[in-house]
Amino acid sequence: MYLKDRNIWLLAPAVLLIGLCFLYPVSWLLQRSVSEPVWGLQNYITIFSKTIYLGVLWNTVAIAGATTILCALIGFPVAYSMVHSSPWVRKVLIFAVLIPFWTSILVRTFAWLVILQRGGIINDVLIGIGLIAEPFDLVYNRFGVLLGMVQVLLPFMVFPLFSVMARIDGSYFKAATNLGATPIRAFFRVYLPLCLPGLATGAMLVFIIALGYFITPALLGGRGDIMIAQLIFERIDEFGDWPLASALAIVLLVGTGLLFLLINALLKIKGERI
Amino acid sequence: MTDLTKMAGLSRRRFLSTSLYASASLAALGAFSRPAQAAANLAGREMVFASWGGSYQAAQEAAYCIPFMESTGALVIQDGPMSGSKLRTMVEAGEPIWDAVDVTDTFLFANEDLFEDLDFNIVDASALDQAYVHPKGIGAIVWSYNIGYNSDVVGDDVPQNWADVFDVEKYPGKRAFRDRIYPMMEIALMADGVAPEDLYPLDIDRAFRKLDTIKDHVIWYSSNSVSQQLFVDGEVGVGIILNGRAFDVNKKGAPVHVQWNQNIRSIDYLVIPKGAPNAEVAQHFMNATADADNQALMANTLAYAPVNPAAFADVEESVLPWLATSEENQAKGFLIRADYWRDNLAELTERWTEWKLS
Repeated sequence: MYLKDRNIWLLAPAVLLIGLCFLYPVSWLLQRSVSEPVWGLQNYITIFSKTIYLGVLWNTVAIAGATTILCALIGFPVAYSMVHSSPWVRKVLIFAVLIPFWTSILVRTFAWLVILQRGGIINDVLIGIGLIAEPFDLVYNRFGVLLGMVQVLLPFMVFPLFSVMARIDGSYFKAATNLGATPIRAFFRVYLPLCLPGLATGAMLVFIIALGYFITPALLGGRGDIMIAQLIFERIDEFGDWPLASALAIVLLVGTGLLFLLINALLKIKGERI
Repeated sequence: MTDLTKMAGLSRRRFLSTSLYASASLAALGAFSRPAQAAANLAGREMVFASWGGSYQAAQEAAYCIPFMESTGALVIQDGPMSGSKLRTMVEAGEPIWDAVDVTDTFLFANEDLFEDLDFNIVDASALDQAYVHPKGIGAIVWSYNIGYNSDVVGDDVPQNWADVFDVEKYPGKRAFRDRIYPMMEIALMADGVAPEDLYPLDIDRAFRKLDTIKDHVIWYSSNSVSQQLFVDGEVGVGIILNGRAFDVNKKGAPVHVQWNQNIRSIDYLVIPKGAPNAEVAQHFMNATADADNQALMANTLAYAPVNPAAFADVEESVLPWLATSEENQAKGFLIRADYWRDNLAELTERWTEWKLS
């Protein structure tokens, strides 16, 4: 078992840090959510009965889910080309993914405004070349939010995928095609399942981070693009309503945890593990 | 930067206060020399002033804090930015680190128990317009929510009232609205024809119905800086903007203007958190903020209006049209009812979120 391995004690500082900086505040939040204003589950009942909280929870999951799917669709080809290209091209691709990753998220979000707004670059070009007469509404709506979030979260999908793909032995694919499978069949039946741990890790990372997003939907979103983090902030900052905000945070945490367990269980059934 | 100063044996407070002393002395030598006011001698005492940061706090520092330091010898340390949750938490913990804070009227009215009573034996508020004096705070500045417009976009068709702003045929395209329930409710009702004196208590359903008519033609902003950018970029032709924000970009050359009809005044109050360590110094500080000369300086810098009528004598001609409390502009607008919002903000904010999701 793990505990017999003496090296496990190297984990002690990290575990201590997580315990102090994560478990303690979270249990404080949990305690506040069930003890104020009176002991009981009234905060949770409020959340699950009021349409605004359910609506925002749904929004959060929908936006995070859409972001994850888009990141997978875009990230897969990027990771694939990174693996199957010459070392020089691979370096360029890695930097292409990393450099935006290192740029401040606020700067990137505002940059999207400059590009996407009605008087922005894209609309100016499209109108200038005569393709459209009225500018498109590319921002202050769900499209803008997804665009901003996918751009920010793509590295979290690309890098796990890349590390898994890089270790896939190319001979599996060759063997499949030699045995008579068409390339497409070989891809879906042999290659893709081998990428699954990377996909699952990437999807997990993207989804969980997207759930807690605040700045991008606040700046790029439209009237209805409210995510749970904005609501939590409003409750604390404007109303000092720590009990309800804590309950919202706990709901988010528990939901994420359940999702993680679910995906892990599904992968175990397939014989994989994250 | 913090690490360097810590290594050199400086704490952030020391660093701030030393640089403040340096700039204060320099300023004293320059254009800020004032006749010594008959004020208390507070040499050796200090206090912490917290506000909203940026150009606003810089202007407050120059207009209120530095004259106060000169006339009393006390030291004023700047801090911020102001945050409701931070202030609430520090007072509830019993250890506020701020002695004087700039808060909005809605915040003051909703959280009166967080603040000390003003000692009117020390604070001389007699010269001020009493509408802007509260037992726990005096008005620092008066500002307003105005109809804003970009003259390049609207041309000669200047919006005259909120009904115009809601008119999508007159102003096709988008308008910029604040993503807050106040004063959007008042504005929607005025656009629907309600007179200011009949507004309160607000007919919320009617306001939401009016907002429904244009909800797809709106860009909602949650920060005032974004509102400035929307108008400057010409993303919107009309909308709501704070008068000081419009003045700021107009001064820098943008074709952004305000319409004073149907403006809604609001106040920023200076308050003293309960249990503030230097509350007495802060009480004296209130006098510096009420002083006519200081208020005029504030107005000339940022077009935030004085609460002391005597200050108007020193306000520059070009700034007068931008002030919310000039006679003409004051008559065209009304003061937002902070007591109404104190009682209804929590419930109505939920309705606002609900409406946004619909």
